[in-house]
Amino acid sequence: MANNNPLAETTFVQSGDTRRSAKISRETISAIAVAVLCVVLLLGARFVSPSLGSWSQVETVLILGSFLVVLSFGQGLVILSGGLDLSLPAMITLGGILATNWIGSSDPGAWYLLPIVLLVCAGVGFLTALGIVILRVPPFIMSLAMSIIVSSALLGYTKGTPRGAAPEMAIALMKGSVFGLPAPILFTIGFVILGWLIQSRSIFGRYLYAIGTNVEAARIAGVPVFTAQVLPYVLSATCAGLVGIMLVGYSNGATLRMGDDYLLPSIAAVVIGGSSILGGRGTFLGTVGGALLLTTLGTIISAIGLEFGLRTIIEGAIVLTALLLLREELFQKLGSLWK
Amino acid sequence: MKLNTVKSIALALALGSTALAGIQPAAAQDKEKFKIYLSLSYSGNAWQSEAANIVKALAATPPYNETVELIEVISGTDPQAQISAYESMIDEGADGIVSFPISSTALNRTIRRGCEEGVLFFMYDATVTENCAYNVSYLTAGFGENTAQALVNELDGKGKIFLSRGVPGNSVDKRHTDGAMHIFNQYPGIEVVSEYYSYWDDRTTQQETAKALAAHPDVDGIWAQAGEYGAVQALLDAGDRLVPMTGENSAGFRLALANPDMQEKGLSGVSAGSPPAQSGYAFKLMMEILTGKRELEPMNIEYPLPWVPAASVQVCEGDVYENGCNVFPADRVPSSFVSEVLNPVLLPEVNVESALNGTPVAGATIQPLPAEVVEAANEPGINCSRCEASETLYELTKIEPTVQP
Repeated sequence: MANNNPLAETTFVQSGDTRRSAKISRETISAIAVAVLCVVLLLGARFVSPSLGSWSQVETVLILGSFLVVLSFGQGLVILSGGLDLSLPAMITLGGILATNWIGSSDPGAWYLLPIVLLVCAGVGFLTALGIVILRVPPFIMSLAMSIIVSSALLGYTKGTPRGAAPEMAIALMKGSVFGLPAPILFTIGFVILGWLIQSRSIFGRYLYAIGTNVEAARIAGVPVFTAQVLPYVLSATCAGLVGIMLVGYSNGATLRMGDDYLLPSIAAVVIGGSSILGGRGTFLGTVGGALLLTTLGTIISAIGLEFGLRTIIEGAIVLTALLLLREELFQKLGSLWK
Repeated sequence: MKLNTVKSIALALALGSTALAGIQPAAAQDKEKFKIYLSLSYSGNAWQSEAANIVKALAATPPYNETVELIEVISGTDPQAQISAYESMIDEGADGIVSFPISSTALNRTIRRGCEEGVLFFMYDATVTENCAYNVSYLTAGFGENTAQALVNELDGKGKIFLSRGVPGNSVDKRHTDGAMHIFNQYPGIEVVSEYYSYWDDRTTQQETAKALAAHPDVDGIWAQAGEYGAVQALLDAGDRLVPMTGENSAGFRLALANPDMQEKGLSGVSAGSPPAQSGYAFKLMMEILTGKRELEPMNIEYPLPWVPAASVQVCEGDVYENGCNVFPADRVPSSFVSEVLNPVLLPEVNVESALNGTPVAGATIQPLPAEVVEAANEPGINCSRCEASETLYELTKIEPTVQP
C-alpha cells in the first residue's frame, strides 16, 4: 500500500497547488510544539524533585506511554475518518484475557496464538464497523454497545476471576532489553514509524483524510469508501488488543478492568496532538507527542506533594492550556505576524 | 450533521455508563424456601467475585441447597442502582439480603423500610450507618494503624515512605489512612514523600508506584492498601532493590514475602487487610438467625483482621487452609487472588475451587458457627451515625512498637 506514495506526492506537488504542503507543515509545527513541551516539562520537573528529569524518568515515561501511543494510533485513525471508538477499554481487556487464558505461562511454544488473539480483536472491530457503515448506527452508540457486550461476555467467561498468567512473549516484549535499551521503547519506536507510514505515507491514509473531510466528495472522487470506513475500526480494535497483551506483559496478569483508564486519554492524546475531533485532520506524530505529554504530565504531577484534588486540577489546567496554545488559529496568527 | 454535539454526548455517555446493568430475575415464588438476595457492587475484580462465589457455594451446600433460593443482583458502582435493587427485593418478599453496600449512608432509608417489613440486612466488608442492619466487617479491627506500626518497626522508625491508597473520597480508604497517619505522625523520622491513589488495583498500583519511583528512587518503605503486588512489580521494574512494605492479601504478595530471592533483595513486611470470607460469615450468621438456631439483635460484628508476617507465610499443598498454611501456589490461583477468602474455623465447608467458581465441595454440609460473635467498636460515619468514637480507636492490637517515637 505504501509503495505508490512518492509518485503520488510528486504529481501533487507538480500541480502547483501548495495548500496541502502548507497544511502539512502546520500540523508538523504542532507536533514539534507538543514534543518541545514534553522536553520542557521533563527539564522543569527538576524543580519539583531533583531525581526527576533523569534518564530513568524518561524511561518510565516512555514505557508507561507506550500503551497510550499504540492505543491512540487506532483511535486516531477512527477519529481521522470521522468516527469515534468507545469500545477500546473492552477490547484491551479482551486482548489481555485471551492472552492469559489461551496461552498463559505454561507453553512458550504457543506464541502463534498471539496473532490469533489479535485476529479475534480485529474480528470484533469488524463487527463494530459493519454496524456503523452498513446499519448506519452512530459510531459512539455502536462502539459503546460493542464495549458493553464484550465486557459482559468476558465477565461471564471468566466468572469474575481471570485465570492464567502472562505469556513469555508478552513479558519479553515489556521487560526484556535489546542492546541495553528496554525492549518496549524499541518496540514503540518501530510502531511509531510504521504508524506514521500508514497514516501519512500510504494511500489508505490519504483515503482516511478524504472521507474524514467529506464522505460524499471522497466517494465521487473514487475513494473506496466502504473499505476506508471499515478498516480504521478493525485496526483500532487490533491495536487495543495489542495494548491488552502489552499490559499483561507489564503487570503479569489480566484483570477485568484493565482497560478502563485508557478511553479518555486515548481521545485526549489525539486531540492534543493537533487532530480535529471532527475528522479529516491530524498527524500520528502529533498524537504520539500528545500521548507522551499526557504521560509526562502524569509522572510529574504525582511527584508534587499536593492534595489529590489539587493535583488533578493542575493536570486538567495544563492539558487545557496546551490545547489552547496549540490551536491552529494561533499558528496562523503567528505566521501572519512573521510575514 | 452536528457531529461535535453528537461527540460530546458520546463522551458523557462513556463517562456515565461504566456500570453494568443489573439483572432482574423473575424466579417463581416458592414458599418452602428462604428467599435470599445477594446484592453486589461491580463484580469485575477478584475480591468481589471471590466474596460472591463463597456465598454461592455455601447456598449450594446441604442443607441450604434444598432450603435456600439465592438470587444474585449486580448494581455496579452507583448507589442509586443499589437502592432500586433493594426496593425490588423488599417488594418481592425477600427473607434476607446479604450485600456489599456501595455507600455507607445513601442506602439507609431503603434499609429502614426493609427492616420494617421484616427483611434481615447483612452487610459485609463495607458498612452502613443504619442501625437496623447487621454489619459484618474487619474495618474496625485497625488495618491502618497495625500495618503502619509494622512498617515503622521494619524501618527502625526512620525513612522515606510511599502511601499507596485506595479510591479517593471513599470512607474505607479514609479510615485506613487515618489509622496509618495516626502512627506515622508519631515518628518524626518517617517522611511520607509520595501519596497516590491506586484504586485497590494491581495494575494501577504498579503504574502509580513507577511514577513515584521516578521522583523518589531512594524510597525506604511502602505502606499499601489492596493492589500491593503491583508495588512489588514496580520496584522490580525499576531495579533489583526491594524495600520493606505492608499490603493486603493477594497471593502474589504473600508468595513474594515468602520467596528467599525477594527477601534477599530487601522485601519484608506483613500481609493483612480485607478478607472476602466476611461474605460467607455474614451469610451463615443470617441463615442461623432465619432458621432459629441463633438469636441476635442487629449489631456491628467485627471480623478479625488477618495478620500474616513474612515469617508466617506457608504455601498450601491441598485445596484448603490446613496445618497453618495460608496461600495457594502460583500454578493454582492468579497473583491477584485474595488469599483470605477461606477460614478453617468459620467456613470449613468451602475450598479454593468454591472461591474461584462458586461450586460447593462434594460431601460437605453446613457446620454451625462458633456461638460467640465479637461486637465491633463504634466508629462515626463507618458503622453508626450519631455516636461517639470509642476510646480505643487506633489502639494497636496485632503488634507492639519496637522503636519509640
